[in-house]
Amino acid sequence: MAHDDYKQMLAAQSLGALDESEARTLEVHLASCEECRLEIGDWEETAAFLALDAEPLQPSPELRARILSSISTPMFERLRWDSEAAKVIEMPTVASRPASHWQAWAAIAASVLFVVSAIGLALMWRQNNENRKEIALLTNQSEQINRELNEQRDALTILTGPGARMTALAGTKMAPTAHATLAYDQTGRAILMTKDLPPAPTGKAYQLWFIAGGQPLPGKVFHTDRSGTGTLKDQIPDHALNAVFAITLEPEAGVEKPTGEIYLKSGS
Amino acid sequence: MQPNPAQVSDVDLLHAIARRDEQALASLYDRYRLILFGLTMRILNSREEAEDVLQEVLLQVWRRASDFDEQRGKPFTWLVTLARSRAIDRLRVLGARQRLAESAAAEASDEISDAALDAYNSERRAIVSSALSELPDEQRRTLTLAYFDGLTQSEIAEKLDTPLGTVKTRMRTGMSKLRALLGKQLDNLH
Repeated sequence: MAHDDYKQMLAAQSLGALDESEARTLEVHLASCEECRLEIGDWEETAAFLALDAEPLQPSPELRARILSSISTPMFERLRWDSEAAKVIEMPTVASRPASHWQAWAAIAASVLFVVSAIGLALMWRQNNENRKEIALLTNQSEQINRELNEQRDALTILTGPGARMTALAGTKMAPTAHATLAYDQTGRAILMTKDLPPAPTGKAYQLWFIAGGQPLPGKVFHTDRSGTGTLKDQIPDHALNAVFAITLEPEAGVEKPTGEIYLKSGS
Repeated sequence: MQPNPAQVSDVDLLHAIARRDEQALASLYDRYRLILFGLTMRILNSREEAEDVLQEVLLQVWRRASDFDEQRGKPFTWLVTLARSRAIDRLRVLGARQRLAESAAAEASDEISDAALDAYNSERRAIVSSALSELPDEQRRTLTLAYFDGLTQSEIAEKLDTPLGTVKTRMRTGMSKLRALLGKQLDNLH
């Protein structure tokens, strides 16, 4: 594709309106073309002004407080309240100076109040920490669900697209129980779903290959989760739609030619 | 027209946010909440979802203000692009816009259209609205379907039952006209 062809795509990209494969091709071009990078900045600025076409609306008054409390550093964390800090406060002893009975009782009452307050504050601090952990956990879960939903949506888009096809990949001797499905449409948009692949060792990842005319063309690399499930979106090169698909174990950054063992392979 | 000179600039606010100044985030929110909420509402059609996304956007600004590079764009563009992209992501996760439209229909009557935009932003809005009204309907529709509904050119072609090549041309021509119409005013707008 020529430089001018990419320039024609910039306005659409600023509106997020390119199809995935076009957007990806353009991203590769942008990485090496300063002129287009500068120009897309102008288009993005124009696109952003479309936001002013929306009717301005007032969010609920609580939203402001919600946002500020979510970014605010907890007070107790700022004070670095901890048991070590508490130890440096030395309480004067009643016996250290002459005191009347009421003074002694007042000092004891103040000490008791201090201890009770300290315990209260420590409990609140602990509760606050637990809440933060809980929120972090729920946020993780929610992100995971969003990711899965997105993957399912992508798979569905491909499977309902024109000329959709599915190819099964079977485990080789390296992973006899593993299996995978590659769904793709006639534009080459593809999604791979694997099951029961052993976790890749540190520094390694699985890589997809399209073997056309005896030549392996590199696809993307991916990892699996603990259950051996992995998902990968990729673009099959134009002339490799009828290729044999294979998955090898490779260095994490991916390689241009396969170097590792084949773990999964489609029928030839 | 220029923003109120007595006001701290957007760039300075972002720098302050990068230094963990909570008040600066509050000021940025106060300055743009009407525009950003209007935008997320137009995309998502649901107060609950739109507020949720707006909260995410401000959190992202809080975490990523130090990534903002004024050489590469203006704060308004950065902020709006972030909000639009988050809202479109949410729209895709939610899937069916119709489902939201149903639940929003009941809320629509409660919406408060806020005329309390400051003079500077009201002026910017009027300029954009006038520029958009000068585009032919089919070009304007192509731009708004992409921007507010998150549709790709192929999806727009399918929805409007129009050849893909025509949609591409309309989008390119529409954006070029919009850029020219806003023209020099863009610099004054910021």
